[in-house]
Amino acid sequence: MIALKNLNLEKGDFYLSGLSLEVAAGEIYFLLNRLDQDNDFLFRILSGFQAAGSGEISYDGLRLLGAVHPQTAVFIERVNDRADFDTEVRLGQWLDFLCAQGLGRENIYKTLLVGNFHERQLKKMVRDLAPETFKLAYLAICLADEGANVVVNDFIKGAEKSFELKFNKLLLQKKAAGGSILFLGSDIFYASEIADRVGFLKNGRLMFEAAAADLKEMDIKDLYLKFLN
Amino acid sequence: MYAFLRFERRRLFGEKKNLIFLGFISLFSAYFVWSGLNEYRQFQAEKKIFIRFEKEKIGQFVSYAQYGGFGFRLLYEASPLNLFFVNSSVLQDVESNIDSLEAIRVESSFKGNKLFLKRGYFKDFAGIPFIFGSLFMLYLGHLALVSPAYLRFMTGRMALKKYYALTTAARLFWLDLFFVVLGLGLFFLVQLGGLAFSGSERAIFFLYLLFLVLLLNFFYLLGQLTTILVRFRKIFFFWFFIIWFICIFLLPESNRISVFNKSRVLESAEKVNLEKFRTLMALEKKFSDYLKMNAATPLNQLRQMQKKFAVQFINSSFLLNTSLETKYLRDVEKVIAGHERQSVLFPTTFYHFFTGEASGKGYYGYLDFMDYIIRLRNRFMQFYLKNRYEGNEATVESFVKNNENIFRSHSRLPKTFWLGLLVTVFYGAVFLVLAYWLLRRQVFLP
Repeated sequence: MIALKNLNLEKGDFYLSGLSLEVAAGEIYFLLNRLDQDNDFLFRILSGFQAAGSGEISYDGLRLLGAVHPQTAVFIERVNDRADFDTEVRLGQWLDFLCAQGLGRENIYKTLLVGNFHERQLKKMVRDLAPETFKLAYLAICLADEGANVVVNDFIKGAEKSFELKFNKLLLQKKAAGGSILFLGSDIFYASEIADRVGFLKNGRLMFEAAAADLKEMDIKDLYLKFLN
Repeated sequence: MYAFLRFERRRLFGEKKNLIFLGFISLFSAYFVWSGLNEYRQFQAEKKIFIRFEKEKIGQFVSYAQYGGFGFRLLYEASPLNLFFVNSSVLQDVESNIDSLEAIRVESSFKGNKLFLKRGYFKDFAGIPFIFGSLFMLYLGHLALVSPAYLRFMTGRMALKKYYALTTAARLFWLDLFFVVLGLGLFFLVQLGGLAFSGSERAIFFLYLLFLVLLLNFFYLLGQLTTILVRFRKIFFFWFFIIWFICIFLLPESNRISVFNKSRVLESAEKVNLEKFRTLMALEKKFSDYLKMNAATPLNQLRQMQKKFAVQFINSSFLLNTSLETKYLRDVEKVIAGHERQSVLFPTTFYHFFTGEASGKGYYGYLDFMDYIIRLRNRFMQFYLKNRYEGNEATVESFVKNNENIFRSHSRLPKTFWLGLLVTVFYGAVFLVLAYWLLRRQVFLP
């Protein structure tokens, strides 16, 4: 379970005002926010790289302290540029290194197989991978952590539909396994498609919450204009 | 740690551009060692000709007066280790003439093939890792931590401190290993080529490699720190060249200019020569006045007087001139000691000083050479005067015994070597800690 209690922060243009929410086991919660940089900021807070002014973040009851992540949480960042991960090695060598740090190789390959990953990609330099292949590899590494709670920062933004479908499949697998998933993003249509519950964050405040099933009956355009415009 | 070592080995040696650069460094280092070895062999061949010529020259003199006037030449032979530092030396190929004249001359000949011997800056084994190795290490320091996004990703899997420390240690291990193997490999290849080094030369070369590795680590850590200071932005490359230029060219050059400015307090060498000339001429005048006053003196009496004046010259004027020269040399030594102390303050300036001394043609080598000249002149003057006024003039006997006309300069470790080493380690440690502190502040935002 993911629990945010009364998170407050004011930093430049970004601020949070008493954000509280809970994501139950086996639930996908989609937190909609208009600006990417606000999502990035919130993601950094949730993953412990940015100190919150006040409030508490916990995963399965374990409080987040700095970037010392509880074993129960997995963080999937929006990765736009492969150059940020260009370690000048082949993908297979990078995976070897990460596996030597305790990451389950079996778990990585499970995810890769869902994405129809071909073995020859392992011999390519990370910078030479196709964007979708790199994203899949990155996702496989993130999901290889055993954590039941997942925080995602708009991971499928800009990705092709085929990749989005693979990603959805993996996310739903995680959910079926009892994971709590908190998705930060700005796509209201995608939110209604994948999430169980949707929250609208505007000016640092959680303005509105609804079950995704109910969202389909509401006027999405109206919601968009009201909270995300 | 083993996983880090394996991963960083793949990162460093699996990348084509790194391999090209390392290959380039190896190739050029080998080339300059080979050319240094050739020059050393050529010097040895010319030394034989020099010795033969000097021996033949003695046979041509018909009187000791001629021998005293022409004298003999003294050749400066650097240690065999010089082949690694051909262009890092302070002195070029020099020689001196030991004669009865008052001025000590130290000259470099550009006659014949020596005209084509002069190399430009850094073109020796010590110059290649200094110029290109430092450039490469700065760049690899820049690449080490990849990006803030990557660091956040890795920090989710292990502590930032652990990742930072192990990555730095593993990369430095491989890079240091490369440079040590390159240096040792070339050193042993030269030995296979038939050149023998003494135990002290071997120790100096190994200590040189130790300092080289620490200097390169200094550049690596500087590159890492600069990247963090510019927050991993592309503008790093602008700072990269500025920092590199300052460290490699500007600071050593400023150091050289500074020592030159300090040397201005020294009296001009010409002034010292003039002073010595005046002392000599005063005695000559005294003898000339004596001749004028005693024009009718018989020849054998004149000869006796000449001898008396010569003894007087040795006991007064020559001693005075020698003390002038020695005092001048000690003043030069003080400037050199000041230069050495100043060089210790920064790794690249100390590298220049150290390689100069290791070459056997450094500042202290020069002082030893001058001391040797003074000692030899002293003995030669006594030999010359004794033989000219007391000895048999029929045959001119050579003063030079056991190749005394070859000055063998040794490679030496500067007195401040360990201090210089510690200063370099200190810089590296400061860069390492400072970079981590700044990195933490960039990854974990307050």
